[in-house]
Amino acid sequence: MDNLVDMSPDPILAAEPGRVVGLVGHPGLGLTRLGLGMLAGPARLGPVAAVDARGWLSPAAAWEVGVGPDRLVVVRCADRSLWPRVTAALLEGLGAVYAEVPAGVGDAVLRRLAALARSRRSALVLRPLRGGLPSGLAHLRLEAVGVRWEGAGEGHGLLLRRRITLRAAGRAMAGIERVVEVDDDGTHAVRVVSRLAAAPAGQATG
Amino acid sequence: MAAGGVVTAADETAAAAGVRPGMRRREAETLCPAAVTLDADPAAEAAAFEPVVRAVEEMVPRVEVAAPGLLFVPVAGAVRYYGGEQPVVDRVAAAVAGAAGPGAGIGLADGPFAARAAAGAAGPGPLVVADTAAFLATFDVSVLGTAELADTFRWLGITTLGELAALPRAAVASRFGPAGLEAHRVARGEDRRVAPRRVPDDVFVEERFDPPVTGLEQAGFAARALANRLSGVLGPWGGIPHRIHIEAEAATGGVRSRVWRSADPFTEAEVAERVRWQLQAWVEGGGIPGGIARLRLAPADLSDRGRQLRLDQDGVSEMEARRAVARAQALLGPDAVLGAVPQGGRDPGERVHWHRWEEAPGPPERDPAAPWPGRVPTPAPALVIPEPRPLEVEWEGGFPVRVRLGSRWEPVLAWAGPWRRTGRWWKGEEPADRYQIVTSAGAFLCEVAGGRCLLAGVYD
Repeated sequence: MDNLVDMSPDPILAAEPGRVVGLVGHPGLGLTRLGLGMLAGPARLGPVAAVDARGWLSPAAAWEVGVGPDRLVVVRCADRSLWPRVTAALLEGLGAVYAEVPAGVGDAVLRRLAALARSRRSALVLRPLRGGLPSGLAHLRLEAVGVRWEGAGEGHGLLLRRRITLRAAGRAMAGIERVVEVDDDGTHAVRVVSRLAAAPAGQATG
Repeated sequence: MAAGGVVTAADETAAAAGVRPGMRRREAETLCPAAVTLDADPAAEAAAFEPVVRAVEEMVPRVEVAAPGLLFVPVAGAVRYYGGEQPVVDRVAAAVAGAAGPGAGIGLADGPFAARAAAGAAGPGPLVVADTAAFLATFDVSVLGTAELADTFRWLGITTLGELAALPRAAVASRFGPAGLEAHRVARGEDRRVAPRRVPDDVFVEERFDPPVTGLEQAGFAARALANRLSGVLGPWGGIPHRIHIEAEAATGGVRSRVWRSADPFTEAEVAERVRWQLQAWVEGGGIPGGIARLRLAPADLSDRGRQLRLDQDGVSEMEARRAVARAQALLGPDAVLGAVPQGGRDPGERVHWHRWEEAPGPPERDPAAPWPGRVPTPAPALVIPEPRPLEVEWEGGFPVRVRLGSRWEPVLAWAGPWRRTGRWWKGEEPADRYQIVTSAGAFLCEVAGGRCLLAGVYD
């Protein structure tokens, strides 16, 4: 593979047409930026959308991870009853949608959206604000388990780089759960730095 | 000759009896009972066609094979070199006749589609088309090759390419989708001259063979493996090529290369097939002495077809995207569907200039080029809280030591700052100090003003 120039992003971090990625974990662990980064590929071809359920989403983070300002539609929808229709409407016509899932959206709704994404060949990144996702829904499920920041000290320096530890599972991982570490220094594309088979349940440490 | 029960080629005797390509095999056998039907063998055809390709290639470089028996010759450079279209065409005709004997159809026109039509319409001598659009205007819509589309056009009273070309482009796009748009382009004689997406020169896949590949079966395997890798490299968003550049190095050192093209973007299987045909042609023709030591595939003319979105070029997808956004706007109101552009500012929230998606962004409120002293450095927090909320922070000797997140207290692992924002005192604003605070649960942007600490952003 020496001469192989790989243009495609790491499959773990790429949104693929017709595929659902689930991002699960507490806010602060870095999933928003990761999810926005998944829009960078599809955004090269056309507009992509981020559904913002709290009004907090900052497009500046999306620009930093490679989404062009003219390609990102931020759709603010805090209303849980409108959220499914809004997200469905976006999936109908856009190549990729990153959607924060407000608390209280039912599993059946999420399954319908996943089916729609598959039939429209749109990429859907779901980021539940509370709780998880119905099992088997996501082609790739990434659960954030920790984040380490570098650059800041005891009142000196500044945030420079972070490393997120994720548990990756789903059909994309061929059924093998893995622990994946992802580096993000804010200027370059997010990249995978290591991939370890997950420790068997019960033996996990930390 | 037949493939899939349909006649693909017939010799002169059979043609005289009324056998035509596209006819069903049984029909042909009824017309010409003496005919011997052979199964089509494209690889053997490619090998037989190779001398023709080589003869033309000696005169005009960068020829492109579309199928065994169909060769496209880009003549723009050659026309300048030989001083006119006619001399070029005459030379090509002579070269083809020298390699394969008389009977070839040769046509010259703008774009591969028209050129092929001209070759089909050519008599014993070459046909040079001066006005491509006018030449195509009389053709029946069935030449577009998509039966379904041609039937739809006919049903609407559009029977010739000229009538199709006369329709406004936007109307064709909205009514017939990408396929209609492409047909419209072709009918106007604009066959894919709309600058295809360039592929960076360094995108290719390559394989070295030690020992060199000599058997055709092995070559077929190599072709398939490489085609597979190529589609992996291009990725799900990368598109599929209209042209494929095949290069093989012989064990003795010589390098041969050939371009194959297709009006429709190649699938992985089609790429593998073309590579196999070409390798067979080279190997059987003795073009690769000692076997293949290295094989390289490079894509060209990436198509956007096969992907969900073709927004840069395609009016239809653009319309779909616009409709999707409009639906969201109808549900939520225009102020909830936003675009944004960067601008200057000291706080992450200030550096985003929001605008309604459908409206152009107004002039920035803050100059992006100004220095903005006290600005919080990048990375930008992915979550910026418009109305910062109180955050409980425990301080020791002026240093933050613990932060309350929900119900638990998290120790501060590291912190940076403060970056001071001098408040607009004339508006009664107090200065605020901003800190980046790192805990094991993530990093946060905090603002301390008037003795109160607020959560302004999350580095999520």
